[in-house]
Order: sequence, then structure tokens, then C-alpha cells
Amino acid sequence: MEIQIFAGFGETLVEVFLALIPLLLFFLFFQFFLLKLSGRKLLTIFKGIVLAFFGLALFLQGVYVGFLPAGEFMGEAMGSLPYNWILVPIGFILGLAATFAEPAVRVMGHEVERASAGYIPAQIILYTMSLGVAISIALSMWRILAGFPLWYFIIPGYGLVLILMFISDRTFVGIAFDSGGVATGPMTVTFILTMALGVAASVEGRDPLLDGFGMIALVALSPILTVLILGLLYGRKGREHGE
Amino acid sequence: MQSVKDTVKEVVLAVFPVTFVVILLQLVVMQLPWIVFGQFMIGVVMVTTGLILFLLGVHFGLLPIGELIGAVLPKQGKAWMVIFFGFLFGFVVTVAEPDVRVLATQVDLVSGGDISSNLLIITVALGVAIFVGLAMVRIIYDIPLKYLLAAGYGLVFLIAAFTPAQFVPISFDAGGVTTGPLTVPFVIALGVGVTSVMGGKSATADGFGLVALASIGPLLAVMLLGVFFG
Repeated sequence: MEIQIFAGFGETLVEVFLALIPLLLFFLFFQFFLLKLSGRKLLTIFKGIVLAFFGLALFLQGVYVGFLPAGEFMGEAMGSLPYNWILVPIGFILGLAATFAEPAVRVMGHEVERASAGYIPAQIILYTMSLGVAISIALSMWRILAGFPLWYFIIPGYGLVLILMFISDRTFVGIAFDSGGVATGPMTVTFILTMALGVAASVEGRDPLLDGFGMIALVALSPILTVLILGLLYGRKGREHGE
Repeated sequence: MQSVKDTVKEVVLAVFPVTFVVILLQLVVMQLPWIVFGQFMIGVVMVTTGLILFLLGVHFGLLPIGELIGAVLPKQGKAWMVIFFGFLFGFVVTVAEPDVRVLATQVDLVSGGDISSNLLIITVALGVAIFVGLAMVRIIYDIPLKYLLAAGYGLVFLIAAFTPAQFVPISFDAGGVTTGPLTVPFVIALGVGVTSVMGGKSATADGFGLVALASIGPLLAVMLLGVFFG
């Protein structure tokens, strides 16, 4: 095997072209009938589209040649270790690493701090969410090794969300749900999930389709739960102080 | 204005910590063949550069499109137009979302081509489209978010009873990946525009709820795909 960087790059370019064409047509339709932007603005937008095109192509190519093979390899190697339980703490550490520095999470922390009038410090959000994602990934690794269905996590998780939703302040419900995506940063789907799929492929009796997927779902659930629970805890405290 | 420096910092902070853990693992716990590890490191460079370029492109080219349309569309004053174009909006954005493509590729590989990448992307995009359309209905007619969410999740658990087990994890993951760096700002831009012109009281109080609704759509859509093709 040799180092491959641009293997299949032509296909990636075609893929990205097809991915961006609908958006471009949509824009041109609006430009023609409603927007009627001037030449200079139009030029900036087209430059942006060209940038997005090459960016997306490079990103996907990097995932295809680098992350997918390495992630799978790593997952398979660790899944076949006699002490493969080590994946649970490793998953935890990967989750922390993927979230703690993630700018989107910090932005959300400040948003919650403002919405709670300073009662929930941004730092607390950052810590709890990083912990939440870390636990989600650790639990997902455990699920793959032990082989039980995703429902065991999903039903209590979403059940809790539904209950909390009806007793929480509307502001927190809004923030919680609109921030559902912040925890699924760029490394989670591209690398950590691939690793999980590799693990599922290497452990006897696991179906990668059934056992490997499902991690993103748990990771996406953790910020919702974090914001709702913190909102409720601090909301009580805030009201006691206020009245 | 978000500068180039901010974008670089943002991407580096999102990519490097995990990379660092992988390097440590490579040195301490396990030894990938160096060629695979080399590919990984090349991947890190490509993904980082690609993501920086993509986010800059989103910032200068794609997001303004979302904001301009979000501002001009509700001014036409026709509810059906907002709902219909909200639907199309959801579709075209999802098709271009990086995480959706990566997940679809993985599903394609793992299922040995049974669930092809394009089929999954189109299903997910239709799911997002329908729910962005619904979100527009909610904003215009002032329907509280919790009822829609409760109904949506109720439907999820109902359909889940008929979905083959293999489709369930993929469906939930599909719900998670649609909230990516393109869809979220794009769809929120539309929400801001529509709410300010046509929205009722509850739309602002609940937040827009667009992201939440946009992730139930693909979940339901992929489950239905499982019901019919599984």
C-alpha cells in the first residue's frame, strides 16, 4: 500500500458539484425574480460559493482517504484486543476532547448565561456538556461491546426530554432544542463514529449496521438534556433569590 | 464580521484535540501501520484546510443567500409561498451539508451498498424539507413548539414499531447530522426573517425551534424508508 491523497478525487469533485448545484439554482431563481442584486454583491456571493466548493471537496477527500480507513482500522484493532473494555474510557476521553475546545459549545454557554441572567455561568455549561458528550460516547462503546439495543438509551433519554420540556421555562426549551447540533462537531461523525463502526465489525456477533450506528443520536441528545436540566436546577434557585 | 483568523481558530480547536488523543493512542496503546497513520495525518490536514475554506465560503457566499431570501420572502405576504420555499430551502441546504454526506457514505459502505449514499441523502433532505415547511407553518400560525415536538416524537416512536431494527440507529443518527455548519445558520436566517415579518407571539418566546424540527424530519423519513424497503 502506498500513501494515497488524491485517489478518487475526480469523483469527489463531481459529488460536491452535484451537492451545491441545487443551492445555486435556488439562489439564481431568487436573484432573477426577487433579489436582483448588484454586480458587486453577486460577485462576492459567487466567490463564496467557489470557496465552499473547494473547501467541501478537500474536506470530503480528507475524510475518504484519511479518516475512514484509519478510524476503521483503529476500531477493529482495539475491538479485537483481549482487554477491549478499554474502549469505554477511550470513548470518554475522545468525547471530552471533541467537545471541550469546540467553539460552538462555548457560544452556546454564553447564550445560556445571558438567558438565565447570569445564574448559569457559561463555564458550567461547558463542563456539563463536555461530560455529557463524553458519557454518550463511552456508553455507545459499551453498547457495541455488550450488544444491547439502542432503545435502552433512547427511550429513557427522550422520555426525560419530553417530561422536562413540559415543566421547563419556554426560553430554555427554545435554547435547548436549537442547540441540539452543537455537540456533533466535525470529528464526531467523520472519525469517532467510523471507529465505532470498526469496533462493531471486529466484535463477534455484532452487526455494524445495528450496533455501530446510534452514537450520533446520543451525542445530539446530550446538549438538550444538559440545558433543560441546568435550566430547571438554576431556574428554581433564581426564583428563590428573586422573590 | 467573522474574520479569517476566527474561522481558522474555530476549526483548529474543533479538530486538534481529538487528533492529539489519536496520536497518543498510536504511541501508547496500539500501533496502526505507519502508512495508515500517515493517511490519517494527511486527512487531518485536508479536513482542517477544507473545513476552513468551506466555512469561509458559507460565511461570504451561502449565508448571505439565506439572509437575503429570509428577508425578501416573507415580504411577499403569501403564507403558501413561505411554506413552499421553506420546504425547498430545507432540501437544497441538506444536500450540501458535509456531515450528512459523510454519514451517508458510511451507511453505504457498512450496508454493502444496500442503502446507497444518494438514496439516504435524498431521504434525509426530504425529511428536513418537510419539517422546515412545518416550522414555517408553526411560525405563521403561532403554534407552540412543544406540541409540535411532542407530536413529532410521538410519531417517531409509533413508526419505530414498524421499522426493521437495522434502520433504527441509522435513523436517529440521521437526525443528529442534519444540524451541521450549513443547515443551522441557513435555516435560522430564514426563521429570523419570517418571524420578524409574519410571526406570532409564541414564535419568539420559544426560540425558533427550527433546528429541533429539522432533526425530527430526517429521523421520521429514514424510519419510513426502512418500513418500505427494509
